[in-house]
Amino acid sequence: MKVLFLGRFAGGHAPRIVARLTTTPDTEILADDTDAARLAPALAEADIVVGLAWRAGFPPAPRLRLLQCIATGVDLMDLAAVPRGVTVCNTLGHEKPIAEYVIMTMLTLTHRLFDSVLSFRAGSWEASLQGGGTRHGELLGQTVGIIGYGGIGREVARRAAPFGVRLLAANRGPVGDAAPVERIYPLAELDRMLPECDVVVIACALAPETQGLIDARRIALMKPGALLINIARGLIVDEAALYAALRDGRLGGAAIDVWWRYPTPAEPQPLPSRFAFHELPNVLMTPHSSSFTEGTAERRLGAMVGNIDAVIRGEKLINVVTTT
Amino acid sequence: MKALFLGNVAADTAEGIRAELPPGLEIKIVADPQDLLRSPEAAAASDILISNHWRTEYPPMPQVKLVQSVATGIELFDLAALPPGVRVCNAFGHETAIAEYIVMVWLALHHRLIEISGEFREQASWRTSWVESGAPHGEVRGSTLGIVGYGHVGQEVARRAAPFGVRILAANRTAREAQAGVERVFPLAELDRMLPLCDTVALCTALGPETTGLIDARRLRLMKPTAFLINIARGAVIDEDAVYAALREGTIGGAALDVWWQYPNAAEPRRRGSRHPFHELANVIVTPHNSGWTTGMVRRRWDEIADNIGRCVRGESLINVVATI
Repeated sequence: MKVLFLGRFAGGHAPRIVARLTTTPDTEILADDTDAARLAPALAEADIVVGLAWRAGFPPAPRLRLLQCIATGVDLMDLAAVPRGVTVCNTLGHEKPIAEYVIMTMLTLTHRLFDSVLSFRAGSWEASLQGGGTRHGELLGQTVGIIGYGGIGREVARRAAPFGVRLLAANRGPVGDAAPVERIYPLAELDRMLPECDVVVIACALAPETQGLIDARRIALMKPGALLINIARGLIVDEAALYAALRDGRLGGAAIDVWWRYPTPAEPQPLPSRFAFHELPNVLMTPHSSSFTEGTAERRLGAMVGNIDAVIRGEKLINVVTTT
Repeated sequence: MKALFLGNVAADTAEGIRAELPPGLEIKIVADPQDLLRSPEAAAASDILISNHWRTEYPPMPQVKLVQSVATGIELFDLAALPPGVRVCNAFGHETAIAEYIVMVWLALHHRLIEISGEFREQASWRTSWVESGAPHGEVRGSTLGIVGYGHVGQEVARRAAPFGVRILAANRTAREAQAGVERVFPLAELDRMLPLCDTVALCTALGPETTGLIDARRLRLMKPTAFLINIARGAVIDEDAVYAALREGTIGGAALDVWWQYPNAAEPRRRGSRHPFHELANVIVTPHNSGWTTGMVRRRWDEIADNIGRCVRGESLINVVATI
């Protein structure tokens, strides 16, 4: 049996996964999945691939049985190009830490925490009560709209409810139990929800109907000064339109954890966008780290370890997305 | 009747509530307290004082019936300098904003938000990213939150923290029943038993003889070496030297401090909040006593103050009475 860790992301986590296996497969790390000379022999021998992407045109993988995605979203896997009879699994358990991140950034942007900290570190009391400075906002009484009422969306709503906010959500499919959300809009009626919201949280999967969903037109439908939080995928938001809205102050601020550009072997420290979000004071930016907590990393790596061991022992897999 | 609004915050309040005050009430605003020393007649003629402080050296107020604090804490009022019979009232309206602040910094400390976002913004470093397999950060889920002072603010914090899947403990001077989600309320005298259990200790207590210097070197050592300390109460609840040493040496994990041991004054408007450079420590979130300084808080507080002034003028019973001299 051979396990191939394919791509930079899987390659980085490979040592932690291998250290915890209770079986002893051969392992190989191929961090650069564009290296055709190494990719063909690696895939020819692999029984298990741990990775993030699978592209049409990959060389044959005749022995492949498990394609273990290292993330939750399998949007970078071209499932039609995966060999027949392969079980595709993902990783879960990130809903709660991401919900924590969403509440944290919603509060941070509303209370303008970074402005207070930076000016106070520099010695100024201008943001204080005694200094008579500008008052900041609070969540109480705000309307929060969640796009994508799945696992993450629900965890966000549960935590936001005691803050005394009005909760709305938009979802592709019908939702059985909406509570504590006041109203669920079909995704097709998102345009009716956006003007109501002081905070919009993007928590949906990347799919054809969500790619570019938040474009210039929909940003213009949002309240002036509204906040946008994206923990889903960069491509759901039109990069140029969001940058312009934040730069011009039409939106009050944004917390962005997911990006349009990621590190590659050729460029390990890229700016995350072709626009200078890092120069905008109203942007709170993190490097796709909202779910990367000690607890979640441990649980996710553990689940992947379990699946690798399960294939080798002929046991049942968990977190199955599909079988090709 | 005459009302004297003394100091900057009170002057602001006067403008904010002018329209709500009873007709016929005469208003005198003295934004700079030094001016009161030069015109003692303003004090002598006032029936109501609205301020955040009162000092012995101020001219006497023989007629005053209501001393309305514009803050919740009344420790800046020299109560002995007020005439007998006067009622001292405070004001709330801040508990929502402060509870939000506590939850915010509680999350930010666990998630190392300031460090991670700063590094990403300034250096395009993906070191802490999930896709780069760097160093993961913490989460609040499964941790223990200890709330010292289970009053207005403490209860609002507990209500908001409960859905995060955490264990919540509290300590209070007087016996209080634990609300849903709070496992136990310790008597303040048994604080030493609660501290070692907590991943975060949030100080929400009033400043009084029992709470001055409450968190001293000995109690800091009772805390977990990874624990976070949040203070929105008053600086003097914590021993300044001991907490600085603990944070610098990492004997506790970090802190969020909104209240300070010293404040700016006219002579020194940029005076630091402490004689120690807390602002240079990476594990400390520092804010300038503005956790409650929100638009909503000010409106709620003004409404309470205007209500109380109206009650005093009409001879009705007062709200938020904290002392009768």
